Amino acid sequence: MRSRVIELTVNDEPREFLAPPGTTLLSALRETLGLTAAKRGCAQGTCGTCTVLLDGDPVMSCLVPVETIDGAAVQTLEGVGGERSGGEASGRDRGELDAIQAAFLEGFATQCGFCTSGMIMAAEGLLAENPDPSREEVVRAISGNVCRCTGYESIINAILDAAQRRAAVVR
Amino acid sequence: MPVTVEVPESVDGVLGALGDGAVVLAGGTQVMPRINTGAHDVATLVSLRRAGLAGIELAGDEVTIGAATTLAAVGADERLAFLRPVIESIASPSIRNLATVGGNLFVAPPYGDLAVALLALDAQVDVAGPAGSETRGVGDVGDLPGGHVVTAVRFALPADFRYTKAMRRRLNSASIVTVAAVLGAEPRLALGGAGRKPIRSAAAEAVLATGPLDRERAEAAGRAALEDAEPPTDAYASAWYRARVLPVHVRRALMGETA
Repeated sequence: MRSRVIELTVNDEPREFLAPPGTTLLSALRETLGLTAAKRGCAQGTCGTCTVLLDGDPVMSCLVPVETIDGAAVQTLEGVGGERSGGEASGRDRGELDAIQAAFLEGFATQCGFCTSGMIMAAEGLLAENPDPSREEVVRAISGNVCRCTGYESIINAILDAAQRRAAVVR
Repeated sequence: MPVTVEVPESVDGVLGALGDGAVVLAGGTQVMPRINTGAHDVATLVSLRRAGLAGIELAGDEVTIGAATTLAAVGADERLAFLRPVIESIASPSIRNLATVGGNLFVAPPYGDLAVALLALDAQVDVAGPAGSETRGVGDVGDLPGGHVVTAVRFALPADFRYTKAMRRRLNSASIVTVAAVLGAEPRLALGGAGRKPIRSAAAEAVLATGPLDRERAEAAGRAALEDAEPPTDAYASAWYRARVLPVHVRRALMGETA
């Protein structure tokens, strides 16, 4: 039972680290790479608060042993927004929010905040694939993400708002 | 208990790694929750991710889906558009991006809706084991002995497929009852939530075979389905409730009605 060297592209930067056997992607992000936006909620794939993008698709990172995805690209909330060029750290350090983050902030779509990073990553996955979603498509996209403050309406509105903000920039 | 993870690059590699205490890991949506509790007796997880088992092939009318193909990949395939309502009735997008077709054959009720559809499709399941490969029916993989792995499911594209899943919530909820049917000269009707695993209802199929489908025949098939059903009680619904609503959902599936 030996640790293995794992290489991932995390938020567009190559990362290499040692993973003890059985380490989940979530644990690797939080405990090894210091990226704590993805949260450990249920560890059962039920709550969605650990959602990250794996090769572009939203997944529950608590369900993925990191040894099975060596070489993959992972996007976390830390890599959303800001300037990500030149090997600098995450957008968090640069302080510039992306459209979804800004829409969540201004639309009061965050209450306790525990679900927010998972919600935003599920929304990032949706808008990357479908930049102009219907309300129903937004509801479906976040159907694996639980908000126990039950603030779903403002979250859905924020994601729809973010889609409009992005469309406005493109125009 | 700490667990070792193997990521073999072929089916032979998977079989070689399936020793004592080893468990096949496909999408992880069933196995990892157990691992994450820490209370398990799994020594080794054998991942299918790099074993070359993902992909969808269509040869004429014959569909072959690799065991490690994700539910999301099936749902996105235009050639399998008839399965989209099945896929979208299962869990959430972020689970469907991990969960696999092969894995769905092994999840216990009230989950496993794709397995209900595959049973109605009379799908054949390719299994690899130490003594070579074999083919089983969908209903016969649950008791697969250790050291074996499902490699693919195969079925013929149906001319007329019907499906409904009754849930507590509109999205991302376990099944109260699931109904899948393939209509034609030899109709097949499969049920979830009607036993400890998905079942075919011979009684309902016999009713459907007596003539063209209309509301009366659909209702008769629903009543007949009860003869084959032994609905379980769980946190989602009681056996009594499932028995009450089963005929209704059989009719709705057959007639294409929405609730």
